[in-house]
Amino acid sequence: MKGRLLRTEGRSSKIAGLSRRQFVRLAGIGAGGLALGHGMSRALAQTAVIKVGYIAPQTGALASFGEPNPFVLNLIRKTLEGGVSIGGTKYQVQILDRDTQSDPVRAGQLARTLINSDQVDFVLTTSTPETVNPVADTCEAAGVPCLSTGMPWEPWYFGRGAKPGEPSPFKWTYHFGFGTENFSKAYLSQWSGPVATNKKVAFLMPNDADGNALRVIFKPILEKAGYNVIDPGPYENGTTDYSAQITQFKAQQCEIFTTGPIPPDFAVFWRQAAQQGYTRMVKIAQIAKTGLFPSQVEALGSLGPKLATVAFWHPTFPYKSSLTGLSSQQLAAEYEKATGKQWNQMLGTNVALFDAGIAALKSSSDPRNKQALVKALSSLQVTTPVGNLAWGKGPVPNVVPMIFVGAQWVKAAPGSKFGIDLVVTDNADDPNVPVGSKLAAYNG
Amino acid sequence: MTWINQVVQGVLLGGYYAVLACGLSLMFGVMRIINLAHGDLVVLAAFIIWLIVEQSGASPFVATLITLPVMALIGWALQRGLLERSLRTGMLVPVLTTFGLAIVLQNAMLQAFGADMRALAPQIGDLAFAGWAIVGEIHVGQLSILIFVAAVLLLGGLHIFLRRTAFGRQIRATAEDADVAELVGVNARATFAAAAALATATTALAGALMAMRAAYDPYSGPVQLIFAFEAVVIGGIGSIWGTLVGGIVLGVAQSLGAQFHAQGFLLAGHAVFLAVLAGRLLVDRIRSGEGLQRTLGLDS
Repeated sequence: MKGRLLRTEGRSSKIAGLSRRQFVRLAGIGAGGLALGHGMSRALAQTAVIKVGYIAPQTGALASFGEPNPFVLNLIRKTLEGGVSIGGTKYQVQILDRDTQSDPVRAGQLARTLINSDQVDFVLTTSTPETVNPVADTCEAAGVPCLSTGMPWEPWYFGRGAKPGEPSPFKWTYHFGFGTENFSKAYLSQWSGPVATNKKVAFLMPNDADGNALRVIFKPILEKAGYNVIDPGPYENGTTDYSAQITQFKAQQCEIFTTGPIPPDFAVFWRQAAQQGYTRMVKIAQIAKTGLFPSQVEALGSLGPKLATVAFWHPTFPYKSSLTGLSSQQLAAEYEKATGKQWNQMLGTNVALFDAGIAALKSSSDPRNKQALVKALSSLQVTTPVGNLAWGKGPVPNVVPMIFVGAQWVKAAPGSKFGIDLVVTDNADDPNVPVGSKLAAYNG
Repeated sequence: MTWINQVVQGVLLGGYYAVLACGLSLMFGVMRIINLAHGDLVVLAAFIIWLIVEQSGASPFVATLITLPVMALIGWALQRGLLERSLRTGMLVPVLTTFGLAIVLQNAMLQAFGADMRALAPQIGDLAFAGWAIVGEIHVGQLSILIFVAAVLLLGGLHIFLRRTAFGRQIRATAEDADVAELVGVNARATFAAAAALATATTALAGALMAMRAAYDPYSGPVQLIFAFEAVVIGGIGSIWGTLVGGIVLGVAQSLGAQFHAQGFLLAGHAVFLAVLAGRLLVDRIRSGEGLQRTLGLDS
């Protein structure tokens, strides 16, 4: 409500030839000038500064999503060191990175502080609905351009109040992320590949936003495609014993297993499934949400390799970061060299966010004008590690769907620094991505 | 048969809860402190064990033995440096202290070990998931049996220690009434510190078992605390064998609940916990002479 008021005032009620926002900004500069007269004159002498807020989880339960961020921020800051020239003017790009501590309420507060106190021109945000949605909502209300990724697009779009078939209610917020369609395509293609099954699917989904969304949207798609889906019902996150579900999957002889649990729960489930003899009958074990990061699969020991998953970025993606000039392969190599840690999918995704964000600034006529910036975002075309992104082509305005390919965790080749490796096994969603190897049966 | 399997799995799960809970129970029974950092101490112990295994290649079982005295030392230092001071100001401050300690531990572990998920399962090989088929559809995991045996040994050992040894008597006497214990020559301060060391040492075992059966990261502590707390309350606070009974009741309630409905797992556990808590309050009030009618509010 407050945001809407601000916006109408900005457009119509001019005071002495100034919009309210310009007036407030001028007043702020005036006050700042009085307070630090000396510093002010120096600041004016410098090149113009574009302030970009970057909100992501760095600590707390979602900390693994933030693991590539120190490297990514360092890389981007180095790349932008000399400033960028936009429309003949040289700008310094200042990135203000903030940690949500995995708390959605704090994510919204950080966005408000960045907008109101730090006066950012643009907000970038990534990693899970708990981070992105509150930030995007705040930006939408305050009328500040926001670009996001790191979560599926449907909960971003419909979860924030958009209605199917109606025009987009969002003017200031843009997003790229995979969707149900990419998800189903990757799954169904992966399951009709080289591994033959009895088409009975063990469907273990928790009672949380992701689990219930998959139950509502994805389960009917599977059933329509001829799969017999055995769903023991939603369980609560934090469950420590799964014998009831395992007994059911065993009795039904489900040769395909699919799940979207939080990672610690999956470790408990999968070990117990092995104890009870279920894993031995599984031909394809397709995991989502867990298994995004190598450590989650390594924690499973010998039960980890051959788990199938899907990937929205992989070092073999034939796309490069337009901002840094690094190919996907180089990006992963640089990351592993600099941090000693194995690459993960959030690395390519978060670099892509900066690729797209800086490209939007460059393609707008005036990067510090918020209207001009959202206009640039609405028709932005940019090459990023996760693919060529082009806004304005659907599925809905404000959103570009990301590529989603089938993949499988395998034991790393001898001589590798790491224990396990992810290979692309299916490229139905984008034939440009090379297939590393065929899907292997979980037992075999 | 399915139901029998559920009960068997529930009992075995109860063994794990008992190990998790016994340090919490001891801490409350002796010092009257609800240690909200208990779960995080378990995770800390798991990280220390993991670190030893990773650095030296030792077996996780050897690493657990090394970690026991380390955790005991941490427990002793916590009591002397933190809890003892906060206890002087009444009941609430220690709760707040341990709450703060939990947050400090979580974030310190994130700084030290990163956000990666860890487990000790890969280091124990097949034991993590090997099972025996008993009859028909009843399978028991070797690790689950190991955990249950460890629970019985730990609680049995503690029971004998507290009942039969002079030092155990000292702890019990101090727990009963520290001032009177001092009158007969017990050093209450040292006894409290020793009890804290003992209670915290059990987190080494709990941490090892957690890391073998599940997986953990720096923020896994609070979830462990909930189940431990429920097991303690169900079994009777400060009672050693009660903790095992409490753990088993909780585990069986959960696994039977899950058989009714997948969401019944946590629900049944919480329901039993609340029912026992309400029952205890009721019995206490009736015993204290208020009478059944007044307790239930029927007399007005």
